[in-house]
Amino acid sequence: MHRTGENRMNATPVEESLREAAAGAIADGTVGVVIGYGHEAGSDVATPLFARTPEQARGLVFDATCVGNLAIYLPKPEVRALGRTGLVVKGCDLRAVNVLLREHVIEREDVFLIGVRCAGVCEPPLHKCTVCPVHDPSGCDVTLGDSVEQPTADASRANALVAEMEAKSIEERWEFWKRQMTKCVRCYACRQVCPLCYCKRCIVEKTTPQWVETSPHLRGNLAWNVVRAFHLTGRCVGCGECERVCPVDIPLGLLNQKMAGLMEQWFDFQSGLAPDEQAPFTTWDPNDPEEGIL
Amino acid sequence: MNDVSETKLYRLEADWLDAALGALERDGVEVLAPVKDEDGSVNLAPVTASSEVATDYLNALIPLKSVFMPRTEVLIEYERAGVGDVEVLPGAAPAGQRVVLGCRPCDARALVMLDSVFNWDYEDVPYRARRDSTTVVSWACMDPGPHCFCTSVGGSPHSAEGSDAVVYLAGSGPALLQVVTAKGAAFVESLGDRAQPAADGTALPEPPELETKFDTGEIKTWLDENFESELWEEVSLRCLGCGACSFLCPTCHCFDIVDESTWKHGERRRNWDSCAFCQFTQHASGHNPRPNQTTRCRQRVMHKFKYFPDRFEQVACVGCGRCAQNCGVGQNLVSILSRIQSEEKP
Repeated sequence: MHRTGENRMNATPVEESLREAAAGAIADGTVGVVIGYGHEAGSDVATPLFARTPEQARGLVFDATCVGNLAIYLPKPEVRALGRTGLVVKGCDLRAVNVLLREHVIEREDVFLIGVRCAGVCEPPLHKCTVCPVHDPSGCDVTLGDSVEQPTADASRANALVAEMEAKSIEERWEFWKRQMTKCVRCYACRQVCPLCYCKRCIVEKTTPQWVETSPHLRGNLAWNVVRAFHLTGRCVGCGECERVCPVDIPLGLLNQKMAGLMEQWFDFQSGLAPDEQAPFTTWDPNDPEEGIL
Repeated sequence: MNDVSETKLYRLEADWLDAALGALERDGVEVLAPVKDEDGSVNLAPVTASSEVATDYLNALIPLKSVFMPRTEVLIEYERAGVGDVEVLPGAAPAGQRVVLGCRPCDARALVMLDSVFNWDYEDVPYRARRDSTTVVSWACMDPGPHCFCTSVGGSPHSAEGSDAVVYLAGSGPALLQVVTAKGAAFVESLGDRAQPAADGTALPEPPELETKFDTGEIKTWLDENFESELWEEVSLRCLGCGACSFLCPTCHCFDIVDESTWKHGERRRNWDSCAFCQFTQHASGHNPRPNQTTRCRQRVMHKFKYFPDRFEQVACVGCGRCAQNCGVGQNLVSILSRIQSEEKP
């Protein structure tokens, strides 16, 4: 993981324009808060910064440590209580915002989007960055940063990790996942960091009856992680936050990438590319050729 | 605890680890030592050969508490024996004799705090049984990491509190061992001639320097007065509400009890729980006395630095730094406490 080192005194040009845009939006009452990235001693990655005054917006940064997906904060009542939200988004983060809009968790007027063009974070770049289709976030209220080249999509690269797993025998895969799932401690960091896990009450918190066993044994852990992967199928935008924050390093991205690959293969669908997209599992269409459920 | 007399120091021959593992295996004692897994994480796991043991590690990912308070354990089992009749069976018996070889002093020191809780108003039977049957041999910390702050909470990289013996490794050469308790003395005996009383005048190495980042006394003074403070809202805003910090904390000990059953058979399990979870204090009535992340974040700091000292005269934190290292949003106990300290000293 790229380390932040000390706070930089000198802002980069994109940081200057970011601070200016955020401070302006706060000062003229466009937003009550801008959520962006800041640096804090003791953290290897940039930390979420809640700027509520133009002065606080001076602490905003944008560099290779800005890994997190801040869209997580949009549905939270305590954040909404601060007024209209200004949100700093990279292309990958914008995809999550698009799903929140598509699913009407938030409405477009609730949020002021400050897009930052981004060719990738971390050094070396994360897998998600090397296959990212949205280096230039479009549809934001402000978009900052120099233009970046958008590489042409390379499906084989996007699916490389899944393909590697699928090359193994089913016994090898079962051994692999058993070992990974045994590690899970059920801290639910994966759920809590996911911008699309916004359910007010998650199924594991439903106790009458207890649908999913909460004990961190293999059976309970498999049930939890499979339920989670299924509920995100067709919705997950591949931001990779679940895998990043997993304290026991379970490669959760593999499950998400597998499901995303199937969505693309079967429905020609990539989640979160536009706020008005027709999502396969949540769109009713009288011309739907699928008669299976009738 | 640190002023053990020099007569309790032993010199260990370079091959002491092999000797220890051999002798303990012959005696049927299970040895748990730091092992690097296929994914690169180091955790305490059963070992039989010294080649399996990782010596150049900062700390185990999952803290030592898991040896005494597993993340899930069966308390009782029950079986439907007939109409209206249920047979209750005791849970799995705690493990036999065990030696933990190579935990860090901070994790061992956390046992002092866990002992306070689990022997308080009720003596916790499974915890006590595991403690009684386990010898804890720490490896003194020679190279603390960037998140470590044990010296800020009354500890030291060389603390002997909670350990039965402390080993000072020096590469793969001869090591120095400090006996702390009778269990530690018994461990030294198992080493046979590979452990000899250290020569007169042998001194323990000086612990590495570690900057003190805050004063727990001043923190406590502020907490006593500031149950209601805007600071809690500010520091909780970015908290995700996951349990990573609690579960990786060597002193966090809250648990949940659940029944998991099929038609005829069931288990009552005790699992780790976290005060950061929204359901942690949820009442059956629907009322939740900690209805938001602000009150939950406050609870975690208050429990460690006010309620625990009020009750047991010690803070419930050993400064291992796992909470800061593993927080997905860089939430940082040190930064919260440093900030509280600056409020205390305007």
